[in-house]
Parts: sequence; structure tokens; C-alpha cells
Amino acid sequence: MNSSRTRIAAAMTGLVLLMILLFMADLFLGSTRMNFSDVLRSLFGHGDPGDEIIVMQFRLPKAITAVLAGAAMSVSGLLMQTLFRNPLAGPDVLGVSSGAGLGVALTLLTLTPLFTLPANSLFAGWGLILAAWAGAGAVMIVIMTVSARMRDIMTVLIVGLLLASAISAVVSLLQYFSNEAMLRTYVIWTMGNLGNISYPQIRALALATAAGLVIAFMMVKPLNAMLMGETFSRTVGVRMQRTRIVLLASASILAGSVTAFCGPLAFIGIAVPHIARLVFGTTDHRTLMPGVALCGAATLLASDIISGLPGGGHIIPVNTVTSLIGIPVVLWIILGKTGLGRRF
Amino acid sequence: MGTNGIIAETRSLSIGYRNRNRISEVMNGLSLSARRGELVALIGRNGTGKSTLLRTLVGLQPPLGGSVALDGNLLGEIDLSQLPRLVSFASTEPVALHNIRVRDVVSLGRFPYTNWIGTLTEEDKEAVSVALEATGLSLLAERSIDGISDGERQRALIARSLAQDTGLLVMDEPTAFLDLPSRYGIVSLLRKLTREKGKCVIYSTHDLDTAINEADRIWLMTGDGVSEGAPEDLMLKGLLARAFESPLLTFSITDGAFSFVRSRQTGIALEGKGKAAKLTARALARCGYITDPQAPLNVRVNEIAGAFEWTVSGNGAHERYTSLYDLVTHLPQIVK
Repeated sequence: MNSSRTRIAAAMTGLVLLMILLFMADLFLGSTRMNFSDVLRSLFGHGDPGDEIIVMQFRLPKAITAVLAGAAMSVSGLLMQTLFRNPLAGPDVLGVSSGAGLGVALTLLTLTPLFTLPANSLFAGWGLILAAWAGAGAVMIVIMTVSARMRDIMTVLIVGLLLASAISAVVSLLQYFSNEAMLRTYVIWTMGNLGNISYPQIRALALATAAGLVIAFMMVKPLNAMLMGETFSRTVGVRMQRTRIVLLASASILAGSVTAFCGPLAFIGIAVPHIARLVFGTTDHRTLMPGVALCGAATLLASDIISGLPGGGHIIPVNTVTSLIGIPVVLWIILGKTGLGRRF
Repeated sequence: MGTNGIIAETRSLSIGYRNRNRISEVMNGLSLSARRGELVALIGRNGTGKSTLLRTLVGLQPPLGGSVALDGNLLGEIDLSQLPRLVSFASTEPVALHNIRVRDVVSLGRFPYTNWIGTLTEEDKEAVSVALEATGLSLLAERSIDGISDGERQRALIARSLAQDTGLLVMDEPTAFLDLPSRYGIVSLLRKLTREKGKCVIYSTHDLDTAINEADRIWLMTGDGVSEGAPEDLMLKGLLARAFESPLLTFSITDGAFSFVRSRQTGIALEGKGKAAKLTARALARCGYITDPQAPLNVRVNEIAGAFEWTVSGNGAHERYTSLYDLVTHLPQIVK
């Protein structure tokens, strides 16, 4: 008992420190070289105006976005894995990300020609964000309606997967009829982007993330019971239908909002809950929930740092980095001697 | 408290499934009861609806008709937050549990009593310790659930039900997949809980032996309904035999056990004494022969200096074997 408590406390402290360290590193490292004191001065508003713009308008919002998006996607993945009792479930299995993609594709490919806007002008404002949010929200409503009618949670999972495929097909069709500029804008959106987010947008993302996380944390007790199976949960008084809908809502708000602001971030949601289980050595959601959020924030900060490494104004798309981190982690879990199932 | 210590009672209960506008009834007219301090075994052949009955009893699925009363209160009228304090249920639902300690599994039984985040009070911790103690798991409490045997795992699930602190414990096949000693261990543990803690335990099983030997009351489920009574009542009425007998099985009242029916019935005269003769008779019966002193074929068991040998004479043959295995594998050739 005490040994596991000490381990959890140590891991939690270590992760907080690691996250702070990565947050600072994300501010100091980037495609433009800056030294330590320039960054610090810029943070407190005494820096060179050029440096200040880079730090305050680009790096700081990007780092804050990484923390929010990393925590949100990972907790969303944890909820999905426990809800579906499936270690390979993630925020995208329900089609929420595909829904956001459909919103973006529809907006790009139907509205831009109407108003003869340049395709990438939509990146600047709320246009794409609202479109993605609407798409994710629509899918979420469909999934929750299905869930309210279906007894078997696996039916919900299958409906989600089919919906995601159907939406992808529609998006492909839209792509086929679009011009090169629109296609390019859409493809860049799918690569994930933590930058280009203004402070008002960060405020909206933070609000949505906070709401999703608070709802998720309220559900730790039923989540723990659900580890013992649905029948057990029902016989100790968990109202399954209601609990499922609340969990789906929380997971969709988290994943849908992040996808709206940053594009479909790959792998974070599937891989991070497994990393957290390994780090904390527990399946208790009271520990896992904050643990997964911290691990997710740290992972996305690290991915963002790596994506800026090439320097000279070039960045690697963040999805490429998260996949390159995520795939080895998932492989390691599947092939490792601990086994995927054994840690779940 | 129910009257006469009756903790569970069904009246003209009809069980089954209701899907939108289709109703599939599994069984109706069930009037059964169980008392505090009783071990009740629900037995019946595969597919008769044992799980459906148990699930209806604990409120997991609504009855199609009739009523269930727990502790004197009608199931439909019990508040949903109170039900988990009256009855616990351990199902056969396969759950992959890993990376979770035995103590934490048992602690989940306290779910109906803990606050919104599941914090264990001193009282909860005490209930968990008592449950671990009663199931003999105190020493394994800190072990991970994937590091213990199947029998111990089943005990952990029983401890979880016990920690839930209900008067009635319902279990669906708690002895499935266990070896013989573990099966007896689990059933005698359940019996101990009824005797020492005054619990009523209702469990379903395919294991007739343990049910007949340990249960106070049997609910025997057949295609026609459920009969209840002491194991011996059901044997006396010939109900057990009728429920399970088939062209392959025959029930012996004296042994309280079933045995296979053999089709070949060649007679063999057996000579010999003691354990060796008994086991020889058993081996012959297993291979479809009956012992008949008048039979032309004769098997004699000899004990020579602590070793056994079998001589077969008749049908123009005279053979010697040094094991029962050799004897029964060669007999068919001699019988021809």
C-alpha cells in the first residue's frame, strides 16, 4: 500500500517537473535562435520587439495549446478505453475526428468558391474551427442517440467505426471535386497544427478542455467499477445508460474541440493512457486521470519541440512526430513482455 | 427483515426477454423462496434459463410477470440506490483484470457505501479486511489479481460480494472452470458464509456432486419449471433422475451420482477378493461388461507377493495379464 502510494506521488511529482521543463524548453527552442535571457525578457515584456512577437504571439500560445490538447486528447482516449474495455480504443474510434474533418472539408470545398475567398484565408479566423466543431458535434449527437437506444456498448463502437469510414468516403468525394489550393489547405489541416491559434481561441479551447476534464473527473468512481465489467457496475448501482452518455459527451467535447483547433492529432489518445498505466502501475482512475493528463501534456510538448528542430523556419508537421513517437510505443506495448492486455 | 427469515421470494414469476415488441418467455409460474442462513443451489441443464432467473432475481432484467420480493420488499419498489445494499451479484461475465490488487478488487464491493470519488472510510476498510479474512485471502491481499490461481480469483470475487455487505449473495456458476478440489473449496466456503455470517447464498452450478452434498435447498430447473426442496426430497421424488437422465446417463439414488449407460453387455464371471477385485469390476463395467457368475468367460484376480495378475479362461483361451489396462484392451478379441 505505502510503496504504491510513494510510487504514485513520486511519478506525479516527476511528471509535473518534466512538464514544466518541457514547457520552458518549448519556449526557448524554435526555428528562430534566441538565447535564454532574450526569451525571459520577452516573457516579462522587456525584450526586443521582434523577439517579443515571436515569444508572446507564437511560442507561448503554441506551448499552452500543446498542454491543453495533449491533456484533452489523452484523457479522451482513457475514457474510450475504459468505456469500450478495449486497449486499442482512442478518441477517433467514434468518428468525432472524422466529423470535424467533414466540417472542414465541406467549408473549404463548398463555401470558398461561393465567396471566392482564397482557401487559406480561413485559417486566420474562426471559420474552420467552427466548421470542425459543428462536424464533431453532429457526430457526437449521432453517437449519443445510438448509445441511448442500444444496450450493447459494442454496437456503439461498431456504429462509430462505420460512421468514421462513411465520413471519410464523403470527404474523399469532396476532395475529388476540389481544386488544388483547397486540397492543399485540407491536407495541411489533417497534418495537425498547434500554432496559428490566437489568445481568444486559446481561451475557448481552455474552457472546452476544462469542461471535459471536470466531467471526466466526476466519473472516476463509475469508471473504476466498469473495470469489473458492466454487469457488476449495474449491480452496485451504476446507472449504465446515463454514465455512458456522460462519458461519451466528455470524450467528444475533449477530442472534438482539440480537433477543431489543432486538426486530427494522431496517436496521442491511444498511446498516452498506456504510458501512464506503465508509469503509475495502477488502473485506478483517481490516479490515472491526472496522470494521463500530465503524460499527455508532456508528450505533446515534446512532440512540438521535436517538430521545430529542423530550424530555419521549417517545421515537421506535429502528426508526423506524434505518430513517430506513438507507433513505437504501441509496438513496444504489443510486443513487450508485459503484453498489451496485461497492462490494461 | 422478511418473515420466517425468508430473504428472497418469487411468486408466479415469469422470466425472459422483452425486445421492443417481441417477448420471448423462458419460463413462467416460478414460486420459489430462500431463507437467511441457507445455501441454495440452482441446477439444471444448459439453456434452461438459470442465468435468466438469477439476473431477474437481482434486478438486472425486469420480470415478464409475477413478482420478486427481497427482504419483504417488492423488487420494483426498492429504490435503485438501496438495491445494492440488499443483494450482490457475481456473474460469469469474463473480465480481463490486470494490474489491480486483490484488496482493490474487494474494495470495489464497497461501491454502494463510498462517496462520489470512492474514498474508503475506516468502516469500509474494516469490511474489506473482514471479507478478505472470511475468504482466506488476507495473505494475498496485496498481490496482483493476475498473479493468483483461478480458485483464489474466484474467492476474491466472493470476497467482493461479501464486502458489499448484503444479506443475499447471488452467484452465477462460481465453480465454473475450477478443478475438483477448488470446486469443493468454493462450495464449502459458500456454506461457511451461510452458517457463520447468516448470509443467504444462491448459486447456479453444473456440479451436481457438490450441490447434492452441500446445499440446504435445491432449485431444480427443467423444461417444465423449477422444483425446490432438500436434495434428498428431489431424489426421493425421482426429480433429479428425471431432469438429468438421458440415453447416456443413469442416476443412482444410493450413490447420489450419475454414471454412463453402456451398450455392450457381455457377461464375465469374476473371481477375486478385496480392492483389486472391486477395481477389476469397475474396469469391466467401464468397458461395457457385466459380472455374471454363470458366464462362460472367467476372469480371476491373483495377488502374488504384492503384485497383481489377471488370468482369463474360457472361449478356448487362457491368457495372463499384469495390468487392468492390458486385460481390458485384450478382452474384446477373446470375447469374439
